[in-house]
Amino acid sequence: MLKLENVDAKYDSFKALDSVSMQVAPGELVVLLGANGAGKTTLFNTISGLLKPSAGKVSLNGLDVTGKKPSSLVEAGVVQCPEGRKLFPEMSVMKNLMLGGYVHRRDKAGMKKTLGHVMEMFPILQEKKDEAAGSLSGGQQQMVAIGRALMGRPKLLMLDEPSLGLAPLVVKQVFEAVQAINKEGTTVLLAEQNAFAALKIATRAYVIENGRLVMEGDRDAMLGNEAVRKAYIGA
Amino acid sequence: MDLFFQQVLNGLTLGSIYGLVALGLTLVYGILHVPNFAHGALYMVGAYISYFVMVDMGLNYWVAMIAAAGVVALISVLCERLIFHPLRHAPPIHDKIAAIGVMLFLEAVVQMHWGADFRRMPTPYTSILHFGDITLPAQRLLIIVAAFSLMGLLHLYLKKTMTGSTIVAMAQNREGAFLVGINANRVAMMTFAIAGGLAAVAASLFAPINLVYPAMGHLLLTKAFVIIILGGMGSIPGAIIGALIIGFAEALGGFYISGTYKDLIAFALLVFILSVKPTGLFTKGVR
Repeated sequence: MLKLENVDAKYDSFKALDSVSMQVAPGELVVLLGANGAGKTTLFNTISGLLKPSAGKVSLNGLDVTGKKPSSLVEAGVVQCPEGRKLFPEMSVMKNLMLGGYVHRRDKAGMKKTLGHVMEMFPILQEKKDEAAGSLSGGQQQMVAIGRALMGRPKLLMLDEPSLGLAPLVVKQVFEAVQAINKEGTTVLLAEQNAFAALKIATRAYVIENGRLVMEGDRDAMLGNEAVRKAYIGA
Repeated sequence: MDLFFQQVLNGLTLGSIYGLVALGLTLVYGILHVPNFAHGALYMVGAYISYFVMVDMGLNYWVAMIAAAGVVALISVLCERLIFHPLRHAPPIHDKIAAIGVMLFLEAVVQMHWGADFRRMPTPYTSILHFGDITLPAQRLLIIVAAFSLMGLLHLYLKKTMTGSTIVAMAQNREGAFLVGINANRVAMMTFAIAGGLAAVAASLFAPINLVYPAMGHLLLTKAFVIIILGGMGSIPGAIIGALIIGFAEALGGFYISGTYKDLIAFALLVFILSVKPTGLFTKGVR
């Protein structure tokens, strides 16, 4: 579904991604592990089109989408739920969700259906639908962010550190939701520092260090790998 | 007391015009972070187009106003496409210099074409309404009603429609807006079109009780900047309330203190408010 070939990305002269090649197959839940500053967000933003790669190729279902605008990628079904959520803080929860469906705005019936689905997944949002998104708790805001991304009806959903700064119980809830979304057929690319929880629901994982992918393997191999356990799980 | 109410009405008239102009300025600033120094020139061009359509072509006042809004919206969008868009990755000072360039260009074109004379634009609404001892020229009533209706429409557009919401979304979180698939170019063009259209309508409304000349936008632009600084750059309610504050301050100050210094009042107020509340009165961004 998604394929990156030797992708480089730069901030001025600093090379943030160095020849990254990876693949995500339809239906997979692929986890991207990495420490702070390893390049997870840069990689996501490059795929989303917020950043243009300085070299390499990004393709989606065989089509070259390198350097395309973020809006074209959302239309193609690649939706990112970004780190820090990037909600519209002064708009209501409902408005945030509706804007998430911006590319499907002409399909009123479809939007209503997706909205019903999001509300079913996160019932708390139904209760808070008229409140300003910025006034919600961190966990609730994360749900709005995931819900907003789902409203774009992604074929590939990219979640950038959805567990960051959340209470353990909420983290569990978020991971359950991510797993459910994947089970319903959405391909998921998940960047996490919370390696153990992420690997538990993963099909496969990549490890990124200093802008390079240094390791790749399926879930069990990663969970059993000594280096991964030492660096990211701590056991 | 009647004199006081008379000044309140005058303040409301001024505030309405300032509001329309400041709204455009604050919308553009909130979304693109461009201080559009050419906004006053767009206002001036709006007045000239209205004048031209009414006096030279002999068409109806409302037709003139709509024509002016259309033409200025188009000029405004062209500025975005040809000047501000190509400069989006340049250092911010380039936008400012370019905006001043556009202002000088538009003024020069108008002066070349229509000359530097002061002109008076006619209005079909010359009657004077009396409410007890308070008099209100029909044109002033028209200004107040039209300006507030437009502000109301703008509010509905931004709050209730999907396309309007994209403007607010972009002001509240730029990257978030990109990630839901909002097209930045479309929002930028739409914002410039609205800003230009509002400025032209404000000019067409105000021109009959003022004069039309190439430099007519200068003082208004500096006042509009005062207003959006007071209201908090990018804040829509801030721009409206800021405009009313300046409008009332000028009308009341001009009457009770000194008419000679009425243009000074806005700036004195700016210095005062900024020394008390340096972030402006409403600094929460576009709502």
